Amino acid sequence: MMTEQGRVLEQLLSGTFICQVSDEDGWRYLKNSSQAERMEQQLNILNRTLTHCADGEVFYAAYLTLGEQERKVLGNQFQETAAGLLPLVEWLLLVQQASGNDMPLTQGQAIRLPELQTQIEDTPAFKEQLQKIARYRLFNSTSMEVDGQLKQLFKKLTEIGYLLRPNPEKQIYLATGKVDYLFEVLRFIDETESLSLSEQAEQAAMQGSLL
Amino acid sequence: MSQNLYQAGVTLLNAMSRHADVIMQVYLSGTLDETATTPQVIDNLKKLGIIWRPEPDAELRLKSTVRNLLENSLHDERNRQIDANIGSALASLKTLAGHYKEALHHGRFTESQGHINDLREHVYSLTDSLGNNVRVLFSRINNEFGYVASIDAKIRENELAQSQVSELLTQIELFRFDELSETAGSNRELRLLLVVTLQQAFSRVTQELSIVQARLLELLGRFREFRGRTRLLKGFVLHQEQHPDFHPPDYSSLSNVPMLFNQANKLMGAAHADVNSIAHETDLQALVGRIKALQRTNTPREERKAGKINVAQQSQAPQVENLLKKAVEDYFCQVIDSGERLTALEFWQQQELDCDPEVWIYRVIDGYQSLPEEEQLYFALDTNGHPHPVYTGNFIVEDVELGLR
Repeated sequence: MMTEQGRVLEQLLSGTFICQVSDEDGWRYLKNSSQAERMEQQLNILNRTLTHCADGEVFYAAYLTLGEQERKVLGNQFQETAAGLLPLVEWLLLVQQASGNDMPLTQGQAIRLPELQTQIEDTPAFKEQLQKIARYRLFNSTSMEVDGQLKQLFKKLTEIGYLLRPNPEKQIYLATGKVDYLFEVLRFIDETESLSLSEQAEQAAMQGSLL
Repeated sequence: MSQNLYQAGVTLLNAMSRHADVIMQVYLSGTLDETATTPQVIDNLKKLGIIWRPEPDAELRLKSTVRNLLENSLHDERNRQIDANIGSALASLKTLAGHYKEALHHGRFTESQGHINDLREHVYSLTDSLGNNVRVLFSRINNEFGYVASIDAKIRENELAQSQVSELLTQIELFRFDELSETAGSNRELRLLLVVTLQQAFSRVTQELSIVQARLLELLGRFREFRGRTRLLKGFVLHQEQHPDFHPPDYSSLSNVPMLFNQANKLMGAAHADVNSIAHETDLQALVGRIKALQRTNTPREERKAGKINVAQQSQAPQVENLLKKAVEDYFCQVIDSGERLTALEFWQQQELDCDPEVWIYRVIDGYQSLPEEEQLYFALDTNGHPHPVYTGNFIVEDVELGLR
């Protein structure tokens, strides 16, 4: 039998994000500082270090020291992340608007696919938005139907770890901590590039209400 | 007098129950649709003070007392009003206590009884309204202001609730228990009402209010977080629309890579089996057992293609069967007749049988084994072949030889 420590170590070395939704036991294990310390020592041997983001909600392994090889990996990774930002952001907005409660998706929140589908099918604006999102290279859907586009989107999002499908027989998806990671990335870009995204949105909203 | 009051009250309540659906309709829609009811009913309700016309041209509305009654009894979450006029309630309590003490002092016991009943009523209604206010706040918190849709509206509702809590807290500070206890003096009844009952209500309400306040702040924090996130998303989309060529610079090429963009790639590969480990023996055996032996036929694909099945030919199949069965019988008869041992393949060659030699050998074995046991005893069936070159213990049968015992 493998110990919890071994299991969590394996998860981290496989490049998985550990959060309360995806792996509650592992997440609790890493929340304990002495256990995290032990994990850190083992990761250090392999030039990795335990990292967390989103206020300790998400754990993953990062490189301890960066050499030529590591930088190349990170460079590729960043290109992927940057290319995926807009499709993901638009998808998040679509889900938020279509579910009608005006709440952004957060870790642990459930999305009921059939409900979302009816909402989108009944609203032409959402349908257009979905079509646009599905055509991004990240999702790469060729389907013309809402059903096919949504299925492709959710399949891809489950693959890259933003969603989790706890019961394969039900069309209910849970958002994982990676969604929080995405927000963190956005916030970082916003701050570093001083884009003041929030202010832009607020101004646009005010202008919209004036019109 | 009290008989008149009783009669009037009964009339009022009867009218309310008779026109219950009209009242509820006004409660839910806000105004009365005058075409839906008769003028007599409207007149009657107006006379009883259940509905009223705020302005000459305005529509008929429910009186606030009736509305309050309904909101309180139905636990309606739309009820956002907090009645926090504790100062005047306390003043009236003191006045009534004064009346009571004076009446007692002059020995007017029936009058004093009336005053103490009034006082009791006031104290209980005060504690009740305090508890009600807290309950109203809680019910709004518990469904996270679910009755308004947007986050901005929720934040406004939250701010309203917070101001109501602080208002309630300042009002509650008006409780001066030293003054109340002085007013009560040594009178047991008064002390019980003014000091014990009020103090209990006071401590309960302050405790609950502090919980309410904490929950409200927590909710406000969450709503602000949500709003921040939504704005971030919308702002990003907006920014991309205005600057389509915007690409964030590659942070991974910085000398100090932010941890957010430092994700180690996966390292784990599959482990290999250790055949020398005794602990794994049973598992490995089970794995080997599941390996399928592949028997590939070398027949060209052309022949294996799905073709048209000629139904007319199907009747030939049993004929072939019969032919083989006959040949087996002949083979057995020849052995009996000649009394010599003969292998199946030799007979096959002799008779130039039109079938696969392997099929033939199987038919012979089958023919031998399908004989009754006493008949089998007359024959001896030997197998010719050689052991498997690699896997010991396996014997490959090439031919069978039949003879008489």
